[in-house]
Amino acid sequence: MSKKFNITVDGVTHAVEVEELGGSSAPVASAPVAPVAPAPAAAPKPAAAPAAPKAAAQAGDVTAPLQGTVLSVDVNAGDSVKAGQTLLVIEAMKMENEIVAPTDGVVKSVAVKKGDNVSAGDLLVSFN
Amino acid sequence: MATKKQEEMLEKKAKLRLGGGEKAIEKQHSLGKYTARERLEKLFDKDSFVETGLFVKHRCTNFGMDKKEAAGDGVVTGYGTVNGRLVYAAAQDFTVIGGSLGEMQAMKIANAQEAALKVGCPMICINDSGGARIQEGVDALAGYGRIFYNNTMASGVIPQISVIMGPCAGGAVYSPAITDFIFMVKGTGEMFITGPQVIKAVIGEEVTAEELGGAMAHNQVSGCAHFACENEDACLEEIRNLLSYLPQNNNELAPAFACTDDLNRENTKLDTLVPENPNKAYDMYEVIQEIADDGQFVEYQKYFAPNIVTGFIRLNGQSIGVIASQPKAMAGCLDINSSDKASRFIRTCDAFNIPLLTLEDVPGFLPGTAQEHGGIIRHGAKMLFAYSEASVPKVTLITRKAYGGAYIGMCSKHLGADFVYAWPDTEIAVMGAEGAANIIFSKDIKGAEDPVAKRQEKIAEYQDTMMNPYIAASRGYVDDVIMPHESRKYLISAFESLKGKRVDKPLKKHGNIPL
Repeated sequence: MSKKFNITVDGVTHAVEVEELGGSSAPVASAPVAPVAPAPAAAPKPAAAPAAPKAAAQAGDVTAPLQGTVLSVDVNAGDSVKAGQTLLVIEAMKMENEIVAPTDGVVKSVAVKKGDNVSAGDLLVSFN
Repeated sequence: MATKKQEEMLEKKAKLRLGGGEKAIEKQHSLGKYTARERLEKLFDKDSFVETGLFVKHRCTNFGMDKKEAAGDGVVTGYGTVNGRLVYAAAQDFTVIGGSLGEMQAMKIANAQEAALKVGCPMICINDSGGARIQEGVDALAGYGRIFYNNTMASGVIPQISVIMGPCAGGAVYSPAITDFIFMVKGTGEMFITGPQVIKAVIGEEVTAEELGGAMAHNQVSGCAHFACENEDACLEEIRNLLSYLPQNNNELAPAFACTDDLNRENTKLDTLVPENPNKAYDMYEVIQEIADDGQFVEYQKYFAPNIVTGFIRLNGQSIGVIASQPKAMAGCLDINSSDKASRFIRTCDAFNIPLLTLEDVPGFLPGTAQEHGGIIRHGAKMLFAYSEASVPKVTLITRKAYGGAYIGMCSKHLGADFVYAWPDTEIAVMGAEGAANIIFSKDIKGAEDPVAKRQEKIAEYQDTMMNPYIAASRGYVDDVIMPHESRKYLISAFESLKGKRVDKPLKKHGNIPL
C-alpha cells in the first residue's frame, strides 16, 4: 500500500509516493503504561527529642511515673522510710498519685518541692 | 536377666540421659540452674514424663563437629501430665554444647510442637541455649524458622508457654515472643536480640546482660515477658498453677473446679473502699481479691504498666480473665503500655474461651506529646478492637470514674459487654466536672460578677446533673446500679447466665487489628 505526499524543499514542491513495506497488519501489544508515581513528599522532619529529664536518675532513685504537679512532699533528706511508705504526692489526671518508697531505706535527697511541675521520668527522691 | 542387646540398649540410654556429663551438670547446678531433665521432672506429675527422640543425633561434619557427641542434640522433648492433664514440652539442655540449636534439635522441638497441635494440648518450651549452632550455618536458621512457623500456626489453638531459664539470644527470642506466656527466672533468664558485647562494639554502650534483658528488664520495662520468678522451683510451680486456669485448646473450656467459697458472700469491705473525694486513690487489688473465689488471683504482667491490672481469678470455680483499672498507679489512666498490656491479655483470654471481667475506674487517656507521638491512637485502638472482637462472655463493673473515650474502651455496652454494673459512686461522663463546666459555661463564668463563685456553682451543677450512673442506666448502657457488697453475687450470676453465649461473626480471613 502506497501513500502520496507533497514535500516542499526551498520553495519547490515535489510529489512523492511512499510505499509501506509489510508488518503493518500485525497487532501491536500495548503494554499498560505504569502510572507515574507522585514525587515523594519531603521526608518528615524528625520529631523534636523530648526534653531531657531535669536530673539524671540512677538505679534506686524514685522518678515521676507521669507528668503532674507536686501536691505535697512527705519526707526530708535523712529520713528512714519503709517500703510502701508515701514519699510525696503528685496531682495528675485530677488524681492524687501517692509516690511510695520501693524499698526500706534512708532518703539521701529530695529533688522537688511543693508546687513543682514534674515530667515523667524526672528524679523525685534519691536514696543512700 | 537381660540379654546382651538389652544391656547395650540400657547402657546407651543411661549415657544419653546424662546429657553433657557429670562435670557439665555440676557447673549447671553451681549457676543455680537445674538440668533440662530435672526441670521436666518438677514440671510434670511424678513419673508421668515420657521422652521422645532420645537417640536423635546431629548430622553436621563441619569444623570437627563429626567428632563431637551431643546427647539428644541438646534438647529433651516429650509429653507428660500436669495435674493429670496432657502437656507437651521441650527443654533445651545447656550441658550439651551449650544447648545450641542446630538442625536436629530444631526438628525435635518442632516435632513436639506438631504433636501438641495434633492432639490439642499445651506446649511448653524451656529455653536455656547459647543460640544458633554456628557450625551448622543455614540449617540452624532453617530450624528456628520452622519453630517460629509452628508457634504461629499453633497460636490461638493450644496454649503455648515459654520459660526462660538461661540465655535466649538472637533470633531464638522470637519463639517465646510469639507464644502466649513468657516466664523468666530472675538472675539467670535473659533475652535479647543482640547481647552486651555486640552492643558495646557497635554503639559503644555498656550494659550488663541482666540490665539489658534480665527478668525484670522484660517484666517491668519492655513488657516482653509476663511472669518474673525468684527461682526455678517457684517458676515451675507457677506454670503448673497457670495451666489450671487454661483449657487444653481453643475447642475446650478451662477446667471447672468445685467452689467452696459462698457464691452469695457479701463484700461488705467494698462498701467503704472508694474514698468520698474523687481525687483520692484506692487499691483495686482489694476489689479483685474480695470478689474472687477464695481471694485467689494469678497476675499477668504484674510489673508492667501497673495502671492496669490483668490476671486470672475464678468465680464459682470458673476461670475468668480480669482487666482492672488501678487508681493507685498513674491515676489508673490508659496509656500506650497499659493499652498494649490489656489488649494482648484480652485476646489471650478470648482465644481460649475465658470470659472477661472488667473493673473500671478510669479518668481517661494520659495526655501529652510523649503519648501522642508514641502512637497512643493506634495503641489505644487495639483495646477497642480486642474488646469488640472478643466473643467470650464480657461483664463490666464500674466502680467510680468512666470518662470519655476511656469509658467506651473499657468494655462498655457499646463494645458488646453482656452486662454492665455500676456502683453508686459511678461517674460516667465525657470528662471531669471541672473541665466540662469550664467549656460549657465559659461565657457565664467570664461575665459573672464573681467568676470564681460562678465557676464553683457551675461545676457543682454539672456534677449533680451528669456525674452519676443513672443517665447511662436510663439509656440501658448500665444494666443496674448495685451496692458494692453485692458485687460477687451479681458477677457470678451474670457469668453463669452467659455460659451458653454464642456469637456469629461475619466470615473473614482475619480482622486487621492495628499493631
